Amino acid sequence: MKLVIKHLKKNFAKKEVLKDINFEFEKGKIYGLLGRNGAGKTTLFNCLNEDLELDGGEFYINDKTDRKIEPEDIGYVLSTPNVPEFLTGREFLKFFIEINKKRIKDEKEIDEYFDFIQIEKEDRDKLMKDYSHGMKNKMQMLVNIIASPNILLLDEPLTSLDVVASEEMKQMFKNIKKDHIIIFSTHIMELALDLCDEIVILNKGILKKITKDNLDTESFKDKIIEDLKEE
Amino acid sequence: MLNAFITSFKLKNTYRVNSVIYSIKQLPLIKKILPESLYKNKVLKIIGNIVSIIIELCTIFLGKFLYIFFCIISMLPVFKLNNANVFIHLFLFLTIIGGIMNTYMFNPTKDKYYAMMIMRMDAKNYTLSNYIYAMIKTFIGFMPFTIIFGLISKVPLWLCIIIPIFVVTVKMTFSAYILIDFQKTKIIKNENLLDKLTWVIIGILLLCAYGLPYIGITINQIIFTICFIVSLITGILSIKVISSFDKYKQVYKQLLTSENVYSVENAQSTQKVKENVSKQIEFDKSFTSNKHGFAYFHELFVKRHSKILTKAVKKQSFIIIGIFAVLSIIILKNKELAKIINASLLIYLPYFVFVMYILNRGTTVTQAMFMNCDHSMLTYRIYRTPKVILGVFKERLKTLILINLVPALLIGIGLSFLLYITGGTDNNLNYIILFISIIAMSIFFSVHYLVMYYLLQPYNANTEMKSSTYSIVQGITYFVCYFFIGKQLSTFYFGLATIIFSILYCFISLIIVYKKAPKTFKLRI
Repeated sequence: MKLVIKHLKKNFAKKEVLKDINFEFEKGKIYGLLGRNGAGKTTLFNCLNEDLELDGGEFYINDKTDRKIEPEDIGYVLSTPNVPEFLTGREFLKFFIEINKKRIKDEKEIDEYFDFIQIEKEDRDKLMKDYSHGMKNKMQMLVNIIASPNILLLDEPLTSLDVVASEEMKQMFKNIKKDHIIIFSTHIMELALDLCDEIVILNKGILKKITKDNLDTESFKDKIIEDLKEE
Repeated sequence: MLNAFITSFKLKNTYRVNSVIYSIKQLPLIKKILPESLYKNKVLKIIGNIVSIIIELCTIFLGKFLYIFFCIISMLPVFKLNNANVFIHLFLFLTIIGGIMNTYMFNPTKDKYYAMMIMRMDAKNYTLSNYIYAMIKTFIGFMPFTIIFGLISKVPLWLCIIIPIFVVTVKMTFSAYILIDFQKTKIIKNENLLDKLTWVIIGILLLCAYGLPYIGITINQIIFTICFIVSLITGILSIKVISSFDKYKQVYKQLLTSENVYSVENAQSTQKVKENVSKQIEFDKSFTSNKHGFAYFHELFVKRHSKILTKAVKKQSFIIIGIFAVLSIIILKNKELAKIINASLLIYLPYFVFVMYILNRGTTVTQAMFMNCDHSMLTYRIYRTPKVILGVFKERLKTLILINLVPALLIGIGLSFLLYITGGTDNNLNYIILFISIIAMSIFFSVHYLVMYYLLQPYNANTEMKSSTYSIVQGITYFVCYFFIGKQLSTFYFGLATIIFSILYCFISLIIVYKKAPKTFKLRI
């Protein structure tokens, strides 16, 4: 399965943020999306999530045949976690499991999900308005992967997690990657190099894969920086 | 100090101009033509500046004119006393109230927040220079109108001239008092959050202002002059207190908290408003829902927000019952009034369009829905599938209609009852029409608000209101409802028309929502 993007364009007034995006993302890989501030990473995600209308081009799923992307295909984890604060963690999960019932392959008990994402027992029945930033982040991540969408868009998802939680989450992504296309946007190069199978940079409205070839890590970093600086 | 003033004035002007341009850019159609570079466009900046100056002049003169006209001049004929004495009497008491409620210095405004908190301007220089400006504005703004309206009311010219000075010295006296109080208590008074005692004092002063002339008592020129001399002395002493006070920074640290600054804004837009709404979530662990899916989700929402959702409706219901009870008692005793009310009930139904509009809780409820629920849920793509959107919509529509139906039922029954006890009607259908049309109006407004919310979802991820179309629709709704006030139409025909219109509107708008909402109901970016 592939996510295919062809000639995708997005302008804001006269500014061409995404000029001509052409790319194929494959299942089983984690893609590290790097770009400078304002390069358009979030805009690209918003376009793929159909929050923004395109000014040109198209994207679709290629799974032997081409098909349109359905809402169920996409999980989008934002850098600032958004959870309905009037629900407890347990109620939120219950609701999500119920509306996704058909799509969840091997449904587990709610507590098993909490164990998986490591939310303590005493926090599971608290209103989420009293959750910490990191806990909200974990909940957001959990409901996005529970229904196992084909494509996971992750916008700086680890920044608010402590080092332990962050390591666990990284391991989790590595475990689930074989069934998903994961696109991971970040500013932190070390994280991208450590976690991702491919590095893609967004610069001047164009998406480009950076190949490591035979370079060592330091030289690879320099190459990425050079590409990002390119005017 | 002059530099501080100029800087702060420029700052205020810049964001005023930018907000003018921003509002223009929000208009539908026009926004597509206008380029992003608008903010550096010189011509527009000049226009913005002119608008900004007009606003400034309005704050100087228009407000004072309206104040004197409505609070004083229009009240003079009511009392049938010596106009000059009533004029200075009202002015004296209202000025004292103004001194307490409208200090300028202790009003936590955005200008001050930007300048002192964000731009870190020197608090003392900023405050003093702007305070002097505000006092000069008060003086100049009042002068023409105290002279014109004073002379019309036969107040001697010299009194007309000292009245604006009196306003300024009273304001300064109260400000100085608050500063001295701060030095003792370390707590600063926020003029928008007055304590109960102050409200009682204001109430008494209001009673003195309008109540005393009502029983034939007013002050005279001698008393006013004595008060003026006292205020002049305290005012001059206050100048020393205000100018030598050196803890303005601490004062404003306390006063300019974001909660204070944003609570005076009526916009439903800021993060702070969202925080306030989120504080209203109630959590009762004993409550669980047996429902499933969106019904479960919605039931929990309603349960956890029962205060926001039903508190006002309960209040409304009690007031409506009270009004009808009082009216019924009066009618039973006063046959003349009964006749008038009977006739009115058969021609003034249009008035109730506005009443039902005012009573409807649609705006508050949809705002709470967004702030506490959709704001987060809309970021999940699965929540935006047609099945979920329409499922939740259906649940919400039921709730919103039910909430608003309570006062509507009371009004419907009340009006039919009034019609009956005031002598009835030749056409018995009038009872039914009266009742059903009120119910129809209530359902219409509930549907209208929810449909508008789903079709024009006006907020962005930062909970800022971003849709000018939504505001325009809101404005038109208000205008149309307002238009019906005072219109005399046969209750039978108008009621029938209202019922038919409401049914058609609900039917058509629900079809549109079912077709369009999955596309339109998303976060604005």
